[in-house]
Amino acid sequence: MLIEMFSYDFMQRAFLAGIIIAILASLSGTFVVLRRYSMISETLAHSALVGVAVGLVAGYNPLWMAVVFAIISAWLIEYLRSAFSLYSDSVLAIMLSGSLAVAVIIVSLGGAFNNSLFSYLFGSILSVSIEDVITIAAFGSIALVMLLIFSKELYFIAYDEEVAKTSGVKVKFLNFLLVSVVAIIIALSIRIVGTLLIGALMVIPTVSALQFRVGFLKTVIISLIFALASVSAGMTLSFYFSLPSGATIVLCVLFIFIVSLIANRR
Amino acid sequence: MKFKVPIFDVKNLNFSVKGQSILSNISFEIFAEEYIAIIGPNGGGKTTLIRMLLGLDKPTNGNIKIYGKKLEDFKDWYKIGYVPQRASLVDSSFPATVLDIVKMGRTSQRGFFSSFSEEDKQFVQDAMAKMDVLDLSDKMVGMLSGGQRQRVMIARALASKPKILILDEPNTGVDMVSQKSFYALLRQLNKDDGITIVFITHDIGVIADDIARLFTINQKATICNNPKQALSCQEMSELYGIDAHLLHVHKHEH
Repeated sequence: MLIEMFSYDFMQRAFLAGIIIAILASLSGTFVVLRRYSMISETLAHSALVGVAVGLVAGYNPLWMAVVFAIISAWLIEYLRSAFSLYSDSVLAIMLSGSLAVAVIIVSLGGAFNNSLFSYLFGSILSVSIEDVITIAAFGSIALVMLLIFSKELYFIAYDEEVAKTSGVKVKFLNFLLVSVVAIIIALSIRIVGTLLIGALMVIPTVSALQFRVGFLKTVIISLIFALASVSAGMTLSFYFSLPSGATIVLCVLFIFIVSLIANRR
Repeated sequence: MKFKVPIFDVKNLNFSVKGQSILSNISFEIFAEEYIAIIGPNGGGKTTLIRMLLGLDKPTNGNIKIYGKKLEDFKDWYKIGYVPQRASLVDSSFPATVLDIVKMGRTSQRGFFSSFSEEDKQFVQDAMAKMDVLDLSDKMVGMLSGGQRQRVMIARALASKPKILILDEPNTGVDMVSQKSFYALLRQLNKDDGITIVFITHDIGVIADDIARLFTINQKATICNNPKQALSCQEMSELYGIDAHLLHVHKHEH
């Protein structure tokens, strides 16, 4: 059965891209969840959609445009949060609905409401091109290296931002770096998981891993295993039942979350 | 006489929020190996003062120098260990063992690319041994008692080999028995390791015998070089704005 699935080129491409995304989403998701930034993944995904819309209408690579718009949005969120006395969740809500409105207007004006847009909203394993895999691998490597280099600082900031700052950690720079890396990962993920569902892949594996109440490294490893399992199972189900890959991946990770909750009930 | 550069040199410090003065015209120096307590009523500006010393809040005007350098030019923050008020109130679901937390104390000295060296490991072990938390190494920090967490947080601060330790009401959420042994431990760090200790406290009676200097903060600062004298009824009444009475308690041998 598996051999049949991998006999198709598009499935090989989708699995390769999916595995890279699972690794990136779970690693960055650990810091996102611990920093109480869970909603930022939803907001940046909607901002990435503006990039997709611009790409589809103007004829540029939608994935590249998604990366650019997600990074701009991440910086804007971080700036608004630090420069003005605005509640973080309010800034995220404003950016989320604002981005969606801009994306819908662009798509509507450009007459780009079609299957291609649908695949960016919900993810599609059929649509992953070799160009997408190269883009995901290239930007993904940069994001992964950044996360690994700064992991100890990001972990310290997640534990206590002020104590980290007083001990000499460059908190402001690292906050910008984290949201930028998250923006890149989200933009890369929308090909497989889709704009509307990527937040789940970033947040749920970590929240499930946290139920086991183990140290940081073990939490990261468990989260990584959950993300890889969800993406692999989700894409397999998507292939055999002709379902949108994003939705099947999210249902798989939700199942893991429920099992984790029950298994670790106190 | 040998010239000594103060660790902190604070001159004419003022802090106000929307025109309302929180701290007014504060000046003092803190020298190496001092053991200083800061007392004062809630809202009197104790925590604000500490936050300004650490660069977390900017003074409205005035100057702070650390080891002779302007605060904004000071880079060696690892020399200053900080244990905030909420330190023992850790989020119980945070994924951290005691070892994970203490290792954080080495973060800023390791640099971005370096791995955890033998020297880092030794500093972490020393700090944990000093605070008697070595046997808790693999325990989740959320599962510890208030007193144990407090020792872990100080071990984290000690892991950077600080010259000065600043603690903001470190006994919040800690029982009475742990409090006494805690102050003994602080005194030991000061005497044996030469670490300058500055801490905010409300436990005036417990610390009176040990401290070298007492800062009383209530918008203005009064520096007392003879803490026992400062703790008179009149001084306390003025500081806290209530009637204070001195109770002499005699200890009976059984």
